Amino acid sequence: MRVKFDEQLKELHVELIKMGSLCEEAISLAAKALEGGPQAKGLAARVSPLEFEIDQKEREIEGRCMRLLLQQQPVATDLRTVSAALRMISDLERIGDQAADIAELTPYITEEAAQKELPLSEMARYAVSMVTGSVDAFVREDLELAQKIMDEDDKVDAIFSRIKEELIRCIMENILEPKAVLDLLMAAKYFERIADHAVNVAEWVEYSITGVHKSSEHHGNIGQDMP
Amino acid sequence: MTKRIFRSIVLVSGLVLLIGLGFMLAVFRQYFDGQLQKELKQEASYLSLAVEEGGTDALKNLSSQSERVTLIQEDGTVLFDNKADPSTMENHKDREEIQQAIQNGYGEATRLSSTLGEETVYYAVKLEDGTILRVSTTQYTVISIVLGMLQPVLWIVVLLLILAGIFASRASKAIVEPLNKLDLDNPDLNEPYEEVAPLLGKIGHQQRTIRRQLKDARRQQEEFAMITGHMEEGLLMIDKQTDLLSWNPSALRLLGSKEAKAERSVLSLNRTEPFQKVVETALSGSRAETLLPVNGRFCRISANPVFDEEAVKGAVLLLVDVTESMERENLRREFTANVSHELKTPLTSISGFAEILQGGLVQPKDIQKFAGRIFDEAQRLIVLVSDVIKISQLDEGNVPYESETVDLGEMAKTILDRLSPEAEKNHISLQLEGTAQIQTVKPILEEVLYNLCDNAVKYNRKDGKVTVSIRQGEDSLILSVSDTGIGIPAGDQPRIFERFYRVDKSHSKEIGGTGLGLSIVKHGAAYLGAALSLESFPNEGSTFTLRFPMPLEKADNSAQKEQAQ
Repeated sequence: MRVKFDEQLKELHVELIKMGSLCEEAISLAAKALEGGPQAKGLAARVSPLEFEIDQKEREIEGRCMRLLLQQQPVATDLRTVSAALRMISDLERIGDQAADIAELTPYITEEAAQKELPLSEMARYAVSMVTGSVDAFVREDLELAQKIMDEDDKVDAIFSRIKEELIRCIMENILEPKAVLDLLMAAKYFERIADHAVNVAEWVEYSITGVHKSSEHHGNIGQDMP
Repeated sequence: MTKRIFRSIVLVSGLVLLIGLGFMLAVFRQYFDGQLQKELKQEASYLSLAVEEGGTDALKNLSSQSERVTLIQEDGTVLFDNKADPSTMENHKDREEIQQAIQNGYGEATRLSSTLGEETVYYAVKLEDGTILRVSTTQYTVISIVLGMLQPVLWIVVLLLILAGIFASRASKAIVEPLNKLDLDNPDLNEPYEEVAPLLGKIGHQQRTIRRQLKDARRQQEEFAMITGHMEEGLLMIDKQTDLLSWNPSALRLLGSKEAKAERSVLSLNRTEPFQKVVETALSGSRAETLLPVNGRFCRISANPVFDEEAVKGAVLLLVDVTESMERENLRREFTANVSHELKTPLTSISGFAEILQGGLVQPKDIQKFAGRIFDEAQRLIVLVSDVIKISQLDEGNVPYESETVDLGEMAKTILDRLSPEAEKNHISLQLEGTAQIQTVKPILEEVLYNLCDNAVKYNRKDGKVTVSIRQGEDSLILSVSDTGIGIPAGDQPRIFERFYRVDKSHSKEIGGTGLGLSIVKHGAAYLGAALSLESFPNEGSTFTLRFPMPLEKADNSAQKEQAQ
């Protein structure tokens, strides 16, 4: 019984790695598309099928987790692993969604962003590296890396407020059309959200390793009273 | 084992004790029986004497405390009994002892009495007058004796059993101790019991076998680890759950992963899609191959499934770094494309001029000019083709020349002389400093030096200067060519040795050359084993330096200065 359970846990782990890899690809494609260039359109078009695949994966992993919970009734660390997986996939799925949203925005942004010196690509780089890092932390069960990802969120937030101020200035001085400003702001916000989700994933990694979730600081108390 | 020995000893001693007790009882009883009967017989004989002498009255004085004495008539009527009233007693004729006495003169019998645990022993004697005198006494039966002695016997038995227990425990410990003290690591050194010797021998033999096999296994494992650890290719073994079974450092490096743990999915090393696909395909039972870009390098992965009785057990992944071969492949492709292009340009001109000539559109006085153009372009083609041949030769490493002693100063002088007409056009002064002898392949060194000097003249400014200097370094011979020309921008410096690479693409036609010169220099220097370095500042000039590794004493470094021009 235990052997079967271990096998199932391992399969779950592999599936999560695959989903994480899909998310990484989606966000890096979206970020690349945002940088513009002749291939931008093609890159952006590849994001939406990826997002669909991510959604599929989420449902599949959810099913796996439910089956594990019902059939094996895991306790202690195993239960933590499964519950962390359940929470992690919803964050990963949101990352996929937001990557798709960014990809949808790209046709409206590219030109303006190219004209204006905004740290949007820097933000994109941070977001991509955070998503990659959080998946890495999960794959390698690397607590230190997870911690690093959580700390990195502040930088992304700082860049976001810089972009916001810059955009306000653009409106005031009539440098950019208000419509373009709004699109830029949305893209920046999506990246900021993606970074947040990456932090969430990192927190779930921390939780599944240590059993302590950072929720008390960030999201109310989930997990603290879990076994 | 101690317990078992202890139990057996206690059991055996207990049994022996009980059986011994039984036998003793039987023997003692036999003895006492005999004694009793003898006494009865004697008493009967005394009494019979007394009765015969003194009649029945002799018995009257017998106390009722003594043995029971009965006098019986021949017909069985009891005449006297010292313990009961004779009139109340029944006829005794049927009694066994009476019958025997009537027939044989005496008789004896033993009967269980009505009282439990007692028996009565009778002895009867026939008197001369026919009456029978019977003496009887009661004695305890075996059971009653045993019962009577039960308590002391029990005490004794318990005591003996305790003693047996103590001795048994000591004895069993003493027996087992040498077994416990066996040195199983060196079973042959023990000398405990003969009986365990074959066992120890067997253990010793097996231990040696195991040790040998372990050693073999370890050696094989070390060999394997050594081989896989030092090989350039990455090797990964996974089971069918994609869990890592074995890996080598190269595999981690090629996959861009820092660490690996056994029992963890191989996807934790690299989770890109092509890698996932290769692993999946291999685990589904067919061979797969892919090219994986990792951190700017390319890694070819071949994955082979491992079968065990038709079922896929896992997969073996071999990773090879193909970055360089891919780069080389790319270079070759580029080279081919460039060569074709470079060859086509003069050919197009030749073909164009020839076409005009053929059409008769050229005035006779211009024919010479056109022929000159065609000749120039054809020359260009020849130079280009011979450069390509040179570079291919250097590339392949098959140069049909032998090594010989070369006077560098002389060689440089010849080259500078050849270039002096060209240099004069732009008033460029040529200088040669120093000379040395060197053992090298002359045609190649000449080609290298010529190309360097040619470039120095070509890319110089008006009234510039070209200096060829030959001097002895610490452990090398240094040959440098400096100019005061246009210089090479820092961004272009790493690329100028590439084939057909030109810094200023728009003016290449005016300056001439094939674009292969520095590439020949680079390949030639590599062939000669010389280190090539470049120092250049835009609008100040460039210095190309060749360092030939060479011991100091061999160099013939005369510091003479020679003015070539």
